[in-house]
Amino acid sequence: MNVSNTGTGSGGAPRAAIAACALLIAQLAAPAFAGPNEQAKRIYERIAGVPPSAAVLQQMASAISAQPGQAGLLAAATIATSASTFYDVTLKNFVTPWTNRNQTVFAPLNDYTATVIGMVRDDVPFNTALSADILYTSNASGLPSPSPANDDHYAAAEANGVDLMSTLVQGTQSGVYGTPAAATAGLITTRGAASAFFLNGTNRAMFRFTMINHFCADMPLLMDTTRPADRIRQDVARSPGGDSRIFLNNCVGCHSGMDPMVQAFAYYNFDATSGQMLYTPGQVQPKYLINATNFPFGFVTPDDSWSNRWRVGVNSVLGWDATLPGSGNGAKSLGAELGATDAFAQCQVVKVFQAVCFRAPVSSADLATVATIKASFKSGGYKLKQVFQQAAAACPGQ
Amino acid sequence: MFREPSTLRLAHALRRVAPALVLLAALAACSSSGGPATAVNPVTTPPSNVQNYTGPAPANADVQAFKINLWQNVIPSDRCGGCHHQGGQSPQFARSDDVNLAYQAALPLVNLINPSQSELVLKVGSGHNCWVADPSACAATMQTWIQNWIGAGSSSTTQVQLVAPPVQSAGGGKQFPADPTVGNPSYQSTVYPLLTKFCSGCHNPASASAQQPYFADPNNIDAAYIAAQPKINLATPNESRFYVRLATEFHHCWPTPTSNGAPDCAGSSAAMLAAITAFANGIPVTPIDPSLVVSNAVTLTQGTIASGGSRYEANLVAKYMFETGQGGTAYDTSGVTPEADLTLSGNVSWVGGWGIAIGAGGSAQASTSASQKLAAMIQSSGEYSIEAWAAPADVTQTNAWIVSYSGSNTTRNVTLGQSATQYEGLTRSSVTDTNGMPPMLTTTTGGAAQAALQHVVLTYDPVNGQKLYVNGADTGAVDPSKGGTFANWDSTFALVLGNETTGQRQWQGVIKFVAIHNRALTLAQVQQNFAAGVGQKYYLLFGVDGLSGVSQSYILFQASQYDNYSYLFYQPKFISLDPNATIPANLQVSGLRLGVNGVLAPAGQAFATMNVTVGGSNYSATNGQLLSSLGTVIPVELGPANDLFFLSFDQFGSHTHTYVEPPVTVTPPTPNNTPQPDFGVATFERVNDSLSRITGVATTDPVVSALYNSSQQAMPATPLISAFLSSQQTAVSELANSYCGELLASPALRDAFFGSGLDASLNASAATFFAGSLSPNRMIVINALLTNAVGTNGGSYVNPDSATAVQSEVDALLTRIPTLAPAATVSQATVAACTAVLGSAVVTLQ
Repeated sequence: MNVSNTGTGSGGAPRAAIAACALLIAQLAAPAFAGPNEQAKRIYERIAGVPPSAAVLQQMASAISAQPGQAGLLAAATIATSASTFYDVTLKNFVTPWTNRNQTVFAPLNDYTATVIGMVRDDVPFNTALSADILYTSNASGLPSPSPANDDHYAAAEANGVDLMSTLVQGTQSGVYGTPAAATAGLITTRGAASAFFLNGTNRAMFRFTMINHFCADMPLLMDTTRPADRIRQDVARSPGGDSRIFLNNCVGCHSGMDPMVQAFAYYNFDATSGQMLYTPGQVQPKYLINATNFPFGFVTPDDSWSNRWRVGVNSVLGWDATLPGSGNGAKSLGAELGATDAFAQCQVVKVFQAVCFRAPVSSADLATVATIKASFKSGGYKLKQVFQQAAAACPGQ
Repeated sequence: MFREPSTLRLAHALRRVAPALVLLAALAACSSSGGPATAVNPVTTPPSNVQNYTGPAPANADVQAFKINLWQNVIPSDRCGGCHHQGGQSPQFARSDDVNLAYQAALPLVNLINPSQSELVLKVGSGHNCWVADPSACAATMQTWIQNWIGAGSSSTTQVQLVAPPVQSAGGGKQFPADPTVGNPSYQSTVYPLLTKFCSGCHNPASASAQQPYFADPNNIDAAYIAAQPKINLATPNESRFYVRLATEFHHCWPTPTSNGAPDCAGSSAAMLAAITAFANGIPVTPIDPSLVVSNAVTLTQGTIASGGSRYEANLVAKYMFETGQGGTAYDTSGVTPEADLTLSGNVSWVGGWGIAIGAGGSAQASTSASQKLAAMIQSSGEYSIEAWAAPADVTQTNAWIVSYSGSNTTRNVTLGQSATQYEGLTRSSVTDTNGMPPMLTTTTGGAAQAALQHVVLTYDPVNGQKLYVNGADTGAVDPSKGGTFANWDSTFALVLGNETTGQRQWQGVIKFVAIHNRALTLAQVQQNFAAGVGQKYYLLFGVDGLSGVSQSYILFQASQYDNYSYLFYQPKFISLDPNATIPANLQVSGLRLGVNGVLAPAGQAFATMNVTVGGSNYSATNGQLLSSLGTVIPVELGPANDLFFLSFDQFGSHTHTYVEPPVTVTPPTPNNTPQPDFGVATFERVNDSLSRITGVATTDPVVSALYNSSQQAMPATPLISAFLSSQQTAVSELANSYCGELLASPALRDAFFGSGLDASLNASAATFFAGSLSPNRMIVINALLTNAVGTNGGSYVNPDSATAVQSEVDALLTRIPTLAPAATVSQATVAACTAVLGSAVVTLQ
């Protein structure tokens, strides 16, 4: 028996098969019927990314049948989040675009992604994601040791098809990488984030991408030209190309709020040569002082003290935590400031909703759903896994 | 840095004369001998009659310096010598018979402390017999001559005399309406008709003799309105330039009904004043918030001029300060004859605060004859420096010449250019070709060129060749062709800014200053000129007596017009002009905000967070107390002559005001209830893992993983159904085909999937084995695919419609295969059926 060539054969049969695929797409692209079986399959596929086994399908369908309404759907979704592909596929692809400047999902696994996956698995309060001394590594055999100088550990885990759900182990950046504990700021100080956003430039990229990824807002959405301009650094030209209207109408809108907060990263840099994040306590990185002659009367960064100017003005709607001081030193306290906002929670819920429901929450009903899920996310210990479960239960099919 | 010790004596001496006057030495001290005779003489071409001087020899070195630097330049009959000669009009400082007597006559006319305030400078600057069309050019030239005389070229003599401004309350102001057609009466119905009727012959872009600003453009009232605003004084209409230009400068007055066809300046200026007054009267005053804690108010031009006298200019060949602000000529104010004045052509406009903006198609070029002095003077020294204050419009333009002394795209003497983020220098010498090649470029990594105002200096000396300095620092660029001489320079070339003489090397941006020297400036000299800055700077005194309780106390700001659209304010100080003033201890000053015309500036408030305790050891009577080292830009509203600035404070001593943030309007998201797709497409890794899950073939299987790794980016990256492409379907099908092939190739997986019913017939003919619609053999394949791909629960399919469709399609496919591929085997047909289902929406639609 010789069938080894059939898989990649170029005969007429496979071509006919491909044509048939397209035909089936056309036939099946219609709303699913919303019986327990269909709902269970959809919830599982949306969460786990793959079709359920017969046993799991039966278990979930039974759960849906046993409790009418959201309770049954939620019970089924809870079963789905125990699938390994929820971590290996869905969460990995959910997080990977946050970890690089191109925002591409086609990037290797790194410590940023692994840490989010681990935090979700262990229900670590996600509002600490930008401030905690936390790092997840895999204890699977045959992997290179985690290193602050490369991502080999994670790349090998992905290449080997390691089951992240069962092998991720919680640790600390200070313990694994040797980063001073006070200098750790959750995902911000992972090697993945540092290599992407502390590389070259002025460290503003770290802030901008944190806004994109965790506030669901790029800088133009956060512009407020009324904030004091006192902390805008010297490298920002006040008359770009000889036209100060650009500065007064645009540049100042972001830099007046961003620069005082980016100061928190003044001691961080990513050294491409050594492949490591650098932290120089007490020593402002030279990148904060470049192009000083663009505007000599701009702000000269003396240390890593940051100030949140967005607590007033239009960005007060981001929902800052009144119990926090709104200023501090270093990335850790800034990360706590950002993680405690309503906008941070809102963004996590919206992202999950889109990932699970395959649509943006823009209808009245979806906006209400997001508000409900966000409320329970904030009051229930910031468990992101629960958000996945609730979102999947909210769109189980018609 | 405001005062250095040797200037203290001068300051105290003058303070005795004028108690309300404080002298502040802005830079270095003047010569301790009091006699300014140490300047390096500029290399100039003296007027011919100087060589014929037969009078008494200069009595001392200072007279000699006077003779060389000032006297020989003013004695020609077309300048001051036409009247102020011996036996002529007094004072006879331009007499040619005795330079010592001329020196005596000139001394009272020169301010050695602040040359810009010399009587000679002020007189020609006011238009008194200026020998070129622009009085400001004469003033600048005269100042240069005086500075050369007293030694400004080698050491600074500049001091700043702070003069208390008139006391003005920070009342409300008038703002130009945004729309020229709105108002009672509107601009459109008052001033605009006069301008379009009488001024559009020149101040109109469509005119054959078009001259900026285009405030009389009859085809674009919005653009004309913006251009006209700086010429209209809403607060004091009779100070409007439109009126003054007609009333006292007699500029193109028009005939009136009573003038019998002759230009009638009185009549036309009265008509203009009436129109402006009517327009201004129709604009209500914007009242200032009475709760604010405010300083007195001041306009920019009421400030004390901080003249830039600290530049090193001992070897000038040409200098352009772009002070004129209108017309088509930028004057060479180097004082070195012949003046190589630049003719502005094409898309060039004047920039507030001195400068020109060069756009696409613009350039500023001197005549070839006037440019000859560059070749003559630079060839004789074998060195040069081209110095420019320039703001590139962007950092993408390449082959863009900022300053060029050249003849064509391929022939030049010297060029300073921009190439994206690099500056480049091209100098023709004995070791380069006639195009100055190879060029010297700054590094790409250095990013020397920024879209910001920069001080760029290209120097050449035989030892180092070219060097490039940016903002007072050597870029480190190394000239690949050192050691040349300029014997092969071509004196028929022209000096051109912003382009090549051919118009094919366009540079866009703002140029605020250009100087050409026939010596290579040293690093120290470059830094000196960089530190001197550019443009007209002022010291603004905002009276705060009423707030501080300190007599003659002020907040002192340094300020300038930064560009057409903003003012620069920086480094505020608290200072009292009363030397005997007592500053109370712990005088708190916080929350300083800048206001314009009764309204706080909406953006750029860099001092709003300031919180300073004034007094004690931080304050000195001579220097005051620096409140902040920062600066900011504030938008231009009515123009530098009219914008009335004031300061407000959250706290000044016992006076407090709680700043109220602008109201925040929160707009909740507007729901969009347009139905959206309720389903999506499995993305790349979901497809891969789904196929693995269904077939049992591991994702690490070498065949499938190789295909997956090479084709994953061809599969969907997003679940959006609207983004799904046919090419992605092809990639999915290919992967499904690979999985199905591996499934059939593995007996264990195959049997788990299909059972053992196919095992004995894999290489049999598909036509025979699968004969008959929904035959038992076909059902082996169909049922297996339904069970594994569609899924079952409790004996029924998860989605019965899908199951029906799959059964129907697979059955039809197995019917068609023998006609498409008669030799197809059972395994091939099974793979085809498997691929059809696994690559279909049954799997990929989620």
